[in-house]
Amino acid sequence: MNDSNTKVGIWEKISQLDRRWIYLSVAVSVIIPLIWPISVPIGITPEARQLYDAIDELPDSSTVMLTFDFYASALPETEPAARAALHHLFQKNCKILTVTTIPLGGPAISERVTRDMAKKYDKVYGIDYVNLGFKANYVAVLSGMGSSIEGIYPSDNSGTRLADLPMMKDIKDYGDIDFIFVVADNAIVDYWVSIVNAQYGTPVGASVTAVSAPKYYPLVSSGQLTGLLGGMKGAAEYEILVGQRAEAVKGMSVQSLVHFLIIAMVLLGNIGYFISRRKKTGAAF
Amino acid sequence: MTESLTTGAHLTLWLEAFVTLALFSFLYKDNPVYKFVEHVFAGLSAGYYAGLICQSVIYTQLMDPLYTDFGANFMLLIPFVFGMMMLTRLTPIGPIPDLSWMSRWGLAITVGSTAGIFLIAQLHGLVMPQTLDTFAQFSKVTDFRSFAMASLILVGVISTLVYFYFSKEHKGVLGGVAKVGIWFIMVAFGAQFGYTVMGRVSLLIGRMSFLIDDWIGGSIGSLFN
Repeated sequence: MNDSNTKVGIWEKISQLDRRWIYLSVAVSVIIPLIWPISVPIGITPEARQLYDAIDELPDSSTVMLTFDFYASALPETEPAARAALHHLFQKNCKILTVTTIPLGGPAISERVTRDMAKKYDKVYGIDYVNLGFKANYVAVLSGMGSSIEGIYPSDNSGTRLADLPMMKDIKDYGDIDFIFVVADNAIVDYWVSIVNAQYGTPVGASVTAVSAPKYYPLVSSGQLTGLLGGMKGAAEYEILVGQRAEAVKGMSVQSLVHFLIIAMVLLGNIGYFISRRKKTGAAF
Repeated sequence: MTESLTTGAHLTLWLEAFVTLALFSFLYKDNPVYKFVEHVFAGLSAGYYAGLICQSVIYTQLMDPLYTDFGANFMLLIPFVFGMMMLTRLTPIGPIPDLSWMSRWGLAITVGSTAGIFLIAQLHGLVMPQTLDTFAQFSKVTDFRSFAMASLILVGVISTLVYFYFSKEHKGVLGGVAKVGIWFIMVAFGAQFGYTVMGRVSLLIGRMSFLIDDWIGGSIGSLFN
């Protein structure tokens, strides 16, 4: 066998690199900026600005429905957005109605996050905010709340009857809700738009995980969504807009470093692949 | 923060850290600890979900209304009966003969009503508004740039739809337009891939942040204070 064929060059080595080295380098590039944070500029997208403006232009004491449509696995992307939204809504003294279509973790997360934020703004449960919790079959839930919220949720997440909660006396259906802020990690945004916005006309804005964000930009363009936050970047933008820099802004410095690493790996991997192929077949680039 | 941690909070943090590290161990190679944690997660999820449905649906929306005011809520017996009929899929069991045909009734109502609701919602709420907006972009044209963007969207939508038209062989003009469609699809996949990378990195940041700030900085740190 020819020596040049058996000798493994640097590019072949790169293209055959054990994937665990890549995992390790990604882990290191996440850990370092978490310990020694670096500052990166974060631009505000028009979609994030649109969502912020829509909330900001609501009259004080408006009623806003905030949804916690995400599993615990998506918390790093969604919880910062939900917290930033709560900052904004509590600052404006909005009445907040939280709801979730996610069984695993949804009710507990909405309870924990909302109560924690309410404490910071001295808001009282039942007067300033209510947590409706989870109810199965989201299509029936979303449709049914158009006729009667109490018909779908006779009681809140803790079992208190809605009739016994002062805030719910004037909130009967979507007609009494001024804005719906959806925080989701799945395609539920489709149904908030196609069932609630299209049929009842309630404005809907969304914060979604990065994976699902590209799908929803056309809905912003058509006016079906009033603003959009995409993933951790979107959450960071909203934190900046409400003046509460927190977990998402901190995470963006890590994101930037890891993205540089991934781009470098994609480039090296492709160069390695094409050089190896040219050596094997003699093909041109 | 570290001084205020209770024993329960310490235990929770250590349990959470163990589960996180056990799941990360799969990145090195498959192992029994990973499998154990995976099975615990699957079992816990199923159990929790079953309990939640029992409480939030069967008790709150069926048993409680029937018990408190049977006369006003007796119609709830209809979905209850159809729900019970779905369980006949488990037959034959012991002396009970095969009654699985009965489950089709409940299933038929579920599939039929869901399809009806989805069809209207999708057509009225997504397909029609998006189709209209594709053309409505031209009504928003103010300069050459906005005209170019509106044209790009129209060409992208039409060529992508042509790519998914399989009733005629992709040759000639149809083939050319379909090829343009592939380019638009590739750009869409690229954007999706970029966002997916960002999403996955976010999840890793969340876990690493927990391990460094909460577990090491919080629980372990307090042991040395």
